Formats: sequence, C-alpha cells, structure tokens
Amino acid sequence: MSNDTLILVVDDDPDLVESVSMRLESEGFQVAKAYDGVEAWDRIKDARPQMLILDVMMPRKNGYELCDELKKDDNFKDITVLLLTAVADAIPYTTYTHMDGKTTLADDFIPKPINLDNLMEIVKDNL
Amino acid sequence: MSQSDPVMKPPGEGRSALFSRPSVLVVDDEKRIRDVCAKMLAGDGHEVGVAETAEIGLRMVKNRHFDIILLDLMMPGISGIDALVQIRTAHPDTVVIVITGYATLEHSIEAMKKGAFDFLSKPFSPGDLRVVINRAVEHISTLKDIATEKSRMRVMINKLADGVMTTDNQKRIAQANPAFLKMIGYHGPRPIGRTADEIVGIKSLNDMIDRVLDAPEEESIEVTEEVCLEQDAQNAETVLGAQCVPFRDRLGRNLGTITVLHDITASKRIDKLKSDFVSMVSHEIRSPMNSVLTQLKVVLDGLAGETTQKQRDILGRASEKIAALIRLASELLDLAKIESGLITREREEIQMAQLLEDQVAFHQAQAQAKSIQLSLEDLPELPALMANRLNLEEVFSNLIGNAINYTPEKGKIIIDAEVEGDYLCVRVTDTGVGIAEEELERIFDPFYRVKNDKTRFVIGTGLGLPIVKSIVDAHHGLIRVESEPGHGTTFSVFFPCTP
Repeated sequence: MSNDTLILVVDDDPDLVESVSMRLESEGFQVAKAYDGVEAWDRIKDARPQMLILDVMMPRKNGYELCDELKKDDNFKDITVLLLTAVADAIPYTTYTHMDGKTTLADDFIPKPINLDNLMEIVKDNL
Repeated sequence: MSQSDPVMKPPGEGRSALFSRPSVLVVDDEKRIRDVCAKMLAGDGHEVGVAETAEIGLRMVKNRHFDIILLDLMMPGISGIDALVQIRTAHPDTVVIVITGYATLEHSIEAMKKGAFDFLSKPFSPGDLRVVINRAVEHISTLKDIATEKSRMRVMINKLADGVMTTDNQKRIAQANPAFLKMIGYHGPRPIGRTADEIVGIKSLNDMIDRVLDAPEEESIEVTEEVCLEQDAQNAETVLGAQCVPFRDRLGRNLGTITVLHDITASKRIDKLKSDFVSMVSHEIRSPMNSVLTQLKVVLDGLAGETTQKQRDILGRASEKIAALIRLASELLDLAKIESGLITREREEIQMAQLLEDQVAFHQAQAQAKSIQLSLEDLPELPALMANRLNLEEVFSNLIGNAINYTPEKGKIIIDAEVEGDYLCVRVTDTGVGIAEEELERIFDPFYRVKNDKTRFVIGTGLGLPIVKSIVDAHHGLIRVESEPGHGTTFSVFFPCTP
C-alpha cells in the first residue's frame, strides 16, 4: 500500500521514533520526525502532516499541550492526533482504557508500551 | 493529732502504710463498750480513737480522718442520727456503723437510710463486732481499689499518644485526652460537657460520631476513616486514622461513642515516598525497554535488512524476556499506584454480573488454547457495588488468568457469585495444580511465586495476587483461598454491598 500520507512521529526517545518510522515507511507512509513539542510545532507548520503520533511526556512542551493548541487552531484542527499514552494495560489481558480525562481532544490513543502491529492497526483505523 | 485525743496506737505501728488497717473511732457514752471495742480493735491492728459524746466525736473527726466510725445512736447531747448526718455530709468516704440499744429496728432502718453502712445491736459479742468491722474493711478496700483504678485509668488515657474522646448519646463530651485535643487543634476551656459539634471543628469526625449514634442498638458498627488536616504552619498535611465505635452497656444500650485518633502522617509519608520511588524507577525502566522491544521488532520484521532464521530465533527470545520485564515494571507501577491510593479514588456503580460476563468472554480464547472449560454460573440478582471499574477488572483478570495458567489442559474453571450477608462474594474455582498449605499464607506476598515442577513453565512476576489483595483491601473487602494440591483452588473475593 503506497500513499502520500505524511505522518509526524513525536517522541523524546530517538530510538523509538526511528523504530516507529521504519515500520510506517515499510507500509508506504511518508514520515517526519520531531523530538519535543516545540520542534513538533515547527514541523507541523513546515510540512503540514495529515497525522501525528504524539508522545505525552516530553521536554519543552508536552503532548497534551500540543494536542490542545492544535485542536483549538482552525488551521490545524483537522490533523488526526494519535496520543501515545501509558495506560492500565500493565497486565496483558486487562482491557485498554485511558486514564486521563484531559486527553479527550485527541482522535485516538496508542497504548504504551507500544506494540508496533497494534500501532499500525490504530493508524489505519484513523486514516 | 492533739494530746487530748485518746488514740490508741496498734502494735506494729510504723510499718508501711500499705499494711495498715483502717482507723476506727468509737463514739459511745458507755465506757464499758468504748473500752471493749477499743481493746479488741487495737488488738486486731486498727488505730483506734474513742469519744464519749457525739460532740467530742465530731470534733475528732474534724481534726483527722477515720475510716470507720462506730456510733451509738442513743447519747445525751447531739443525737447519734444527727451526728451521722453531719459525718456523712462532711466525710462521704467514712464508713459509719451505728450501735443501737434493745434492737430498735426503726432506729436502725432510719440510720441506714441516712447513710449508715451497717448496724450493731446491743448487746453484741466481740465476734459480732469483728464481723461487722471486717465487712466495712472489705468495703473500704474495694472503694480504694476502684478509686485507684479510676485514677490509674485516667493517667493512662491522658498519657496515650493516641487521641481518645468519649461522648454520651447526646454527643456531649464525657472525656477527651490531651492527645485528642491537640490532634483536632483545640485550645480552649475544658471541653467536658460541651457537644462534639462545638469542640471538634472537623466535619468528617462529627459525621462519623453521628453515624455511630444513629446506628440501631442491635447493629455492630465501627466507622473508620482517614482524616486529612491541612496545617497552615509549614503547609504540611496531617493524616489521622480515625475510628469511632458505640459505647454500649452490658444490655447493649447506646451510652455514647468512643473515638480514637491515630496519627498516621509519618507512615503515609513513607508510603508515598516508596510509591514515588517505585513509579519513578519503573517509568525509567519501562520506557527504554519498550524502546528496545520496538527496535527488536523492526529488525525481526526485516525492516532493517534480511535476517537469518537463527538471528530471528535469538531476537525472538530476547523480545520475550524484554516483554516480561516490561510487564514486571508495569505491575510494580500498578502496585505503587494502588498503594498510594491513586487508583481507587474514582468509584462508580458496578454491575458485577456484567463485569464477570465480560471477563469470562475476554479470557475465553486463552482458556480454549489449553482446552480449558471456562464458564460463568447462572447468577442470582446481585446488588450494585460502588467500586473502581479498572480495579475490579484487574482483580478478576488476575484471578481468572492465574486459574488458566495453573490449570492443566482439559481442566475446568467456574466463576460464581452470590450475596453472603453484607457482602457480595465472587468465587473463582479451578481444577488446577492447587497450592500447598505452607504456601497459602505467602501467596499474597509481593514477588512470591510458588515454585515446583508443575509451575516452572508459568511466566509471571509474583505481583498479580498482591495487586489483587491491595485492591480488595482498598475496597474494604476480603479475599480467601482454599486449595487442595492436585485437585484445585478456590479464590473467594468479598466486597461490601452498597447500602
């Protein structure tokens, strides 16, 4: 499946950004990378991605703040935001439920710890 | 003691006061009676005084204390009855025995009504006297014991580091020790007799007392709560463990309440530190390990170039280990969250039947993979519970997951629920390997895992059951386990029903 969808991956762990990017690219997506919330804003303005995979705990500007600003800005609110969030999935068979009421502005959640196959499913569901 | 007071010293005077017998004053106008009584009582070890009229007797009583007074009723001058009334008024703890002539019953009855302890009818033998005196001595020593006990008790309660307050059934304060007043921050006049509402400025404490007072007398009730107090000084928070129970008499009638406060600030602070530490560590471990896992996955999936089968095998095993470590870190984090009380705060109404159905459906695939028959019994109507949904899911997920892990292929797991008294009870019964008796008491310890040839292949962290227990405890519930090695195990979880 090849397409020109551009996905911006934002996480302060470069290794994680790299792995996620490699997987996305292997599925034919265009990928941009950023390592904190402020840098992410610059990329968004430059590159106009269709989708954001956004970590929550980051230096300078965290994922909640960035998501909030984005969703309240008429120029950018159409960008799909998938929030990477540590959820109560500690025990593998517990249902995934996000715990933080503040994250409702995001379009969907990718539970942490990240499972790349699961991540791909969520990305495709939200296209 | 003035020189004119004719007080006979008993033999052995000067021994420790502990051994001294009560002092006796004999008031009688008949010299013979005074002499006989004095001689006999002194011989028995009493300190004895004598007076020939009520006037002299009253004067002697004013100068010093007598434990027992033998008082003739028929005397010239002030009558014995009048003397009795004066003595009883001025010295309520003095025991008065009246001596009556010719067995005049009416006099004796009147004297008893006016507070005499006993009476002796003339003529009486030394034996009669001894019996009456001994009875009085016993009475005095009992009174002394009670007084000592009372003052000891008061000293003990006042020295307690825990706060203790007792109220009557009108919520008036009967007793409050200094620790209690300090904990509630009360500095003012004596609070005895005033209502708890006036003195205790902490609403939750007053509510607890009200709840106990409102409880029907046949109901056994104990209200426990943690009370947080903001302190202005260093903005530090004080946490009190408060317990309130009814004060009932032997017939079970409500006399009032007893409230005990225990300062648990320090242990709360340590708990919090511990939890913070654990969650910091597991965050710092979990995130990088997750990163490693995704890296391995990328290589395994061939996204970083061709790999050989051997390389994939090795990376696959490494991934499994990393995944297990991530799970361990996650469970530590969960336990820390539960212990710090973060999770259980948000409660909602839970329909247990629905929750159990979901859990059974959720684990069906896992059970079928081992050809285990996992089923939910037909449930009776169950009351709704106020609980944290995530927590309850975690409890049953763990119990059912464990049952599947520790039950051999083709086994059976049955989930059942019913109301038992004030509790909703859910049972998870399996036909698994069971737990030996000596292991039973340890299975709720963090990191403890039953290790034997049957459990060696089960991967786990040893945190599942401690998490279950923490959650059940946080919901004021109970968990029980019964097991027969080789035959199976039943875990019973009890949650208090919403009133």
